[in-house]
Amino acid sequence: MSSTTPAQDIADLIARCALRDRSAFRTLYERTSAKLFGVTLRILKDRSEAEEAIQEVYVKIWQRADRYVAGDTSPISWLVAVARNHSLDILRARRPVSEDIDVALEIPDSGPSPERATQDSQEKRQIEHCLERLEPDRAGAVRGAYLDGYSYEELATRYAVPLNTMRTWLRRSLIKLRECLTA
Amino acid sequence: MSTSDDIKGGHEDPNALVAEYVLGLLPTHEHERVGRLIENDPALRAERDFWTSRFAALNVEYAETPVPAHLYAAIEARAFGDRIGSKSKVSFWDSLALWRGLAAGALAVAVAAVGFNLVQPRFDADQMAVQLVAALQAQEGSGVEFLAVYDQAQGQVRITSLKGEAIPDRDFELWYINGDQPAVSMGVIPVHQRLEIPLDAATQANIGPGTVLAVTLEQTGGSPTGVAQGPIVAVGSAIPI
Repeated sequence: MSSTTPAQDIADLIARCALRDRSAFRTLYERTSAKLFGVTLRILKDRSEAEEAIQEVYVKIWQRADRYVAGDTSPISWLVAVARNHSLDILRARRPVSEDIDVALEIPDSGPSPERATQDSQEKRQIEHCLERLEPDRAGAVRGAYLDGYSYEELATRYAVPLNTMRTWLRRSLIKLRECLTA
Repeated sequence: MSTSDDIKGGHEDPNALVAEYVLGLLPTHEHERVGRLIENDPALRAERDFWTSRFAALNVEYAETPVPAHLYAAIEARAFGDRIGSKSKVSFWDSLALWRGLAAGALAVAVAAVGFNLVQPRFDADQMAVQLVAALQAQEGSGVEFLAVYDQAQGQVRITSLKGEAIPDRDFELWYINGDQPAVSMGVIPVHQRLEIPLDAATQANIGPGTVLAVTLEQTGGSPTGVAQGPIVAVGSAIPI
């Protein structure tokens, strides 16, 4: 039995990948690929695309292992983020160029900075708790955006509301969510 | 489209904007722009990390799914294969490890191919005709990229350069490779110009999904021996569209 936690093990494997330890890469793959494949499958919703994406994801992990900073994010969250962002990049590249002009182009002062990250289990309970305080449709839209990578257009279709209504919903929901998460 | 009034519902809140960025809701251009703003601002980076870690609590909902076993060899070849070429420029054309890497590297082209598919006319009337596309991506920082389309009905490969410049006193030469077999030349190809290469029946029979196309830098007129002598500058694998 190992005396370290699974998270420490994963962080250690990532660090060894940064040092070009190929056996560590294999072990990291064996431990984490099923989870990351779940991410690419759910977002891309196509098995062969997800299989291609998972390969690119692990090549990226090998190439960028040195960018993982232990302590900022849990190691498995970092790996999931690599897989999720890669899948979203694929979706985004496929979408037609949007004519959006309504994104705030200047970012004003962001106010007080968020609290330091807390424990994973606590965060899970907390985000569930805060999502439950939103109207069910809106909570569902936030989940769909995160877990499935749905665009505003897809969300508007799924919830049968106009695009701008969906944008307004989402943005207001995110503000409420933040208030709840930092309360 | 929209006026600014009906989206006033909070779009000026920078924290919501960062959350939209983390969720991936912003259109490509804005996503990249906001990403750069975040990189350059510690407060926004903290905000990004806040959302990333809070949403990560939902990751338990991603169902673990085993990856097909055969994929790992391709991943390893591609991840580790890159380093072989950079160590030995002279011999890497002959390296077995490189060939393994090529086959795996070819898997990276899907995204480019999907994009290309959108602008390529489809022949619905003849669904049986095989069409393949290969994005030949730059190797070793060559900065040279090509896109090749093979249309079986027309018996030709069309190739066009996407990036890169001609090199004085050198020519680019196109090759196809199947598995462990030796590379076969398809001739010298120009930069900044589309080229149609008619294929004989034997060559047509040899090109299919998974065939690797590679471009090497050769002496003017191409390799005199029929065997590639120069470095690979671009490579990609043919996939059906």
